[in-house]
Amino acid sequence: MTEGADMSGTHDCGGDAAAYVLGALEPSETEAFRKHLDGCAVCRDEVAALRGVVQALPMAAPSHSASPQLRRRVMQAVREEPNARTARRRWPRVAGRWSGARIALAAATAAAAVIAVLAVSLSGGGAAERLIPARVAGIAGSAQLRVAGGRGELIVRRLSPPPRGKVYEVWLKAGGAPPTPASVLFSVNSHGSADVGLPDSLRGVSQVMVTAEPSGGSKVPTESPVIVASLT
Amino acid sequence: MELVREGEPDAFEVIFDRHGDAAFSLAYRMCGTRGGAEDVVQEAFLSLWRSGARYERVRGSVRSWILSVVRNRAIDAFRHEAVKQGQDVSDEGVAERVPSRDVTDAEVERRDDARTVRTALFELPRDQRRVIELAYFGGFTHAEIAEMLELPAGTVKGRMRLALTKLRLSLSAAGHVG
Repeated sequence: MTEGADMSGTHDCGGDAAAYVLGALEPSETEAFRKHLDGCAVCRDEVAALRGVVQALPMAAPSHSASPQLRRRVMQAVREEPNARTARRRWPRVAGRWSGARIALAAATAAAAVIAVLAVSLSGGGAAERLIPARVAGIAGSAQLRVAGGRGELIVRRLSPPPRGKVYEVWLKAGGAPPTPASVLFSVNSHGSADVGLPDSLRGVSQVMVTAEPSGGSKVPTESPVIVASLT
Repeated sequence: MELVREGEPDAFEVIFDRHGDAAFSLAYRMCGTRGGAEDVVQEAFLSLWRSGARYERVRGSVRSWILSVVRNRAIDAFRHEAVKQGQDVSDEGVAERVPSRDVTDAEVERRDDARTVRTALFELPRDQRRVIELAYFGGFTHAEIAEMLELPAGTVKGRMRLALTKLRLSLSAAGHVG
């Protein structure tokens, strides 16, 4: 048997399962292999079997203690910064700041419910809700924008995760003006789902767009949008 | 974890105390410098905190989840900050070993587990161990490893597969994986 050949001799999907669980496939290969897994029980079993091995690999690293200084730094930062749950409670204060974008990344899903409540309350509780289908380009998945009371929530399903080292960033476009950051970064869960509340009013906004940006976000889009929802 | 999700720093401190050493050890193995490893661990734990510790039980233990975040952070650091120096250090090359503080029963058990995993890894043929170390601890893709070692990509993927399969057999025999 040559290296890379299937050990059973009856099944060979290119031997990508090991590279996949090691995180050693290229992003495009990872995406293709994930799709392949949907229809290949043999590879799913191989991934499940090898995943436990990879999870044990960190134990092979020589043991060191985290320094007391590191512990202090981490805990000081933790005590100074709200997490997703507390950010949600403090949403009106943090949402308007660009620095809130990193918090919004984590808070996006949790904030969706709050935004929905805000939307209803701002509109007097009876505003009509619009569900606007969004165009998804270059990646798998679907997206729609829910708008109520001038506020929006982006709902994505089975969306490809952002490439390694990147996050999705939401942009608002008004007429011919350049897109402005919505102060929201997000990723998707293992099912490709996310419900992303948009903190700012959508009044005057003609398009809500999403691009893949480096971790931490960008001030201007650096790539073509992968999601576009037109409000007009 | 529920208290962490509720935004309780004291609960998060417990998480750090329980998993901080393992996180730092992995980061140190990957970065090769204490400063780089500390930056990675700090960023990883802060991202966990900011996200409200959205841990999904189905994905494995809390420790596995935390270590996967640490590893991803380290790889981000390699790729985005060009701090690749030192990432391929061998165990012998890592200096500044710090003795652990308190050796509890759990810690003793953990060290035994670690020894088993290390032994299994070192019992692999050298060419197979090399691709595992480059991929897992170095954060390189199979294509990058193929270029580095001047091998066909298929050979690299094959070695990864053989290595993980052998490791699985060794760790299964020792009762570490199912």
